[in-house]
Amino acid sequence: MARPNKTLRRNLIALSLVAPFTLTFLLVFAWPTFKVIQLSLTDAPLIGDGTWVGLQNYRELLDDRIFWVALKNNGYFLVLTIVPTTVLALLIALAVNRLRGWMQPFILAIFFLPYILPVSVVTLVWQWMLDFQFGVLQPMIEAIFGKRTAVFRDPTWVMPVIALVTIWWTNGFNVLLFLAGLRNIPTELYEAAALDGATPRQRFWRVTWPLLWPVTALVLTLQLILQLKLFDQVYLLSQGGPFNTSQVLLLLVYNEAFQQNNGGYASAIAMVLFVIILVVSVMQFQLLRIGRHR
Amino acid sequence: MIRLKTMLAATAATMLSLPAMAQTEVVWWDFLGGGDGVRMKALIERFNEEHDDIQITGTTLEWGVPFYTKVRTSAAVGEGPDIMTYHLSRVPLALEEGVLSPITDEDLEMAGLSGDDFFDSAVSAASGPDGTLYAVPFDIHSIVLYYNKSYLEGTEFLDEDGNLTGIDSLDDFNRALQHAADNGSTDPLSFQTGGPGGVWRVFYTLLGQQGGEMIVDGEVLPGDNAEKAATALQVMRDWRDAGFIPEQAEYPASVALFTSGQSAFHMNGVWEVPTLVDMEANGTLGFEWGAVQVPVLMDQEATWADSHALAIPNQPAAPMSDEKREAVMTVIGWMSQNSISWASAGHIPAYVPTTESAEYQGMEPNATYASLAQSAFFDPRSEIAGVASPAYDVALNVMVPQIHGFFDTDEALEQIRDELGRALR
Repeated sequence: MARPNKTLRRNLIALSLVAPFTLTFLLVFAWPTFKVIQLSLTDAPLIGDGTWVGLQNYRELLDDRIFWVALKNNGYFLVLTIVPTTVLALLIALAVNRLRGWMQPFILAIFFLPYILPVSVVTLVWQWMLDFQFGVLQPMIEAIFGKRTAVFRDPTWVMPVIALVTIWWTNGFNVLLFLAGLRNIPTELYEAAALDGATPRQRFWRVTWPLLWPVTALVLTLQLILQLKLFDQVYLLSQGGPFNTSQVLLLLVYNEAFQQNNGGYASAIAMVLFVIILVVSVMQFQLLRIGRHR
Repeated sequence: MIRLKTMLAATAATMLSLPAMAQTEVVWWDFLGGGDGVRMKALIERFNEEHDDIQITGTTLEWGVPFYTKVRTSAAVGEGPDIMTYHLSRVPLALEEGVLSPITDEDLEMAGLSGDDFFDSAVSAASGPDGTLYAVPFDIHSIVLYYNKSYLEGTEFLDEDGNLTGIDSLDDFNRALQHAADNGSTDPLSFQTGGPGGVWRVFYTLLGQQGGEMIVDGEVLPGDNAEKAATALQVMRDWRDAGFIPEQAEYPASVALFTSGQSAFHMNGVWEVPTLVDMEANGTLGFEWGAVQVPVLMDQEATWADSHALAIPNQPAAPMSDEKREAVMTVIGWMSQNSISWASAGHIPAYVPTTESAEYQGMEPNATYASLAQSAFFDPRSEIAGVASPAYDVALNVMVPQIHGFFDTDEALEQIRDELGRALR
């Protein structure tokens, strides 16, 4: 007879435990998301409501040349960052993992340090180092490429250099994730492999790589989402130029909403980006799972 | 903990030291972060000293889009300032956004001002299409031509008093630049060639000197304006090809090129006058300099110009009390009547009585470019032009690469029309 009572109590406790999160989620995520969807179907300015225009914004988007340019640039940036930063982080983690004593935390700290800097500081540092007239890196560029280059004003250089700055800035976190993953691999496995006569190369590919795969998949997915949301670096370093070679979707959202007062149209772009991130990251995660079970 | 206690004590002390009488606090926002910002802070301090009943609390925010975004969003929820600086080139967009509170004749009367006290061009830039005033003009600022006398000594370009002379055409100017280059100036003419502001201002000046218009009846560069724009772009491209202007100079670098003595000429806003005056006074400049109105390089007198104005945000969520409004108008009136201090920041006061004063007319180098107020060529009256607008974006996105040879003038022109046309839709 006490049973329903007990269930009720348990349910109430469960409810009270999930309520704070659920309410916060509804308030600061679900409600704004709903509002963005709603706004994207109107011609609203930045502030206030607009009139209903149906799918007009989305239709305009398909005809908007800059939108496609921005989409392509987002894709280019993914190619420039995701795999390079993952490989680099893995290599650094493997190297740091071999260090012993105080050297290990010391070197790790050096690689991690840029990550704690705010983006404005990062971009200022690089802007000054790469300044065309006074930058300390310009003599190096001149020595290698034969002439000084204003990298953030050059269509070929701009995206790769922004990618380089981004990798320099965020790589420390990936190194940390990989290092944690490496420490989770039991040393017995390496000992057993060594006893069986495995070469270092075989030990990496047969032991480290498969056991590290969940971490690698996590890093790849996090990077994918993070790099699709590229905004700060472009806004601060190149403002989308020259001639839109570094224009990306979020910058377009910002320009439309805050500069040109087109809240509805900006919401439509934001929605498209939202759907892209959702689809691509789910797809990637599934692919990576298949890779794991192969 | 000790620090926290000290801070609390300090706060309490400050609050106690305030006079007990009724005081109106006026919240002031501006975007003046440079050399002129220091002068503005001094003006605000002086106002506070002279007025017991009104106290201004000033905050300086980031110039450009960040400032205007913050004004917009805060005013919408009634958390905006009581008074703010505003670029008159931003008025068309402000009208669309409905962010400015109209300034009535009674308001002006409270301030002890009238519309006739200001330059006509500034008043019309500050008004809506129906003639309603939305901001009180404070200054007119434009670009001027700074020059380093040491590169021109012994040439036809300095008169016996050591002032710039003899530049009446593009050819004259190019010869002067060549002279400077021969005399060892590495970048004879510096301006911000790698950023939106500098390029836009020089381009717009060259366009205006040909009588061109950027936007007419909602169309970008219609008719022969396209040709004139092409000419203006080509002039900058030729300067670059001749090695006269620095490659991709960012704003601080463009100023440094001149102040360090590498550039013979510098085209930049009057707001850098205090920088040079201060450097000369401290003995760190190392050369004699002058500044003149940008000479006529094309067909007629015209120089890009904009205006700082003082405006009141429109905040339906938090209507301003009559008492507060009177205080705000008192501030605006006092600022206009004391704008002679603002002139020392290089700007031309928009308040005509100030410019007619003997003190102003003797002020150097302001006096040499005082005529600018008449030949000022304001940004097109459009919601896509003005500070931090799509027009500025196009300057960075299309004109900068064009000047540096990434594509032809014709191609650039097509892109400009394409992008601004897109923004206008």
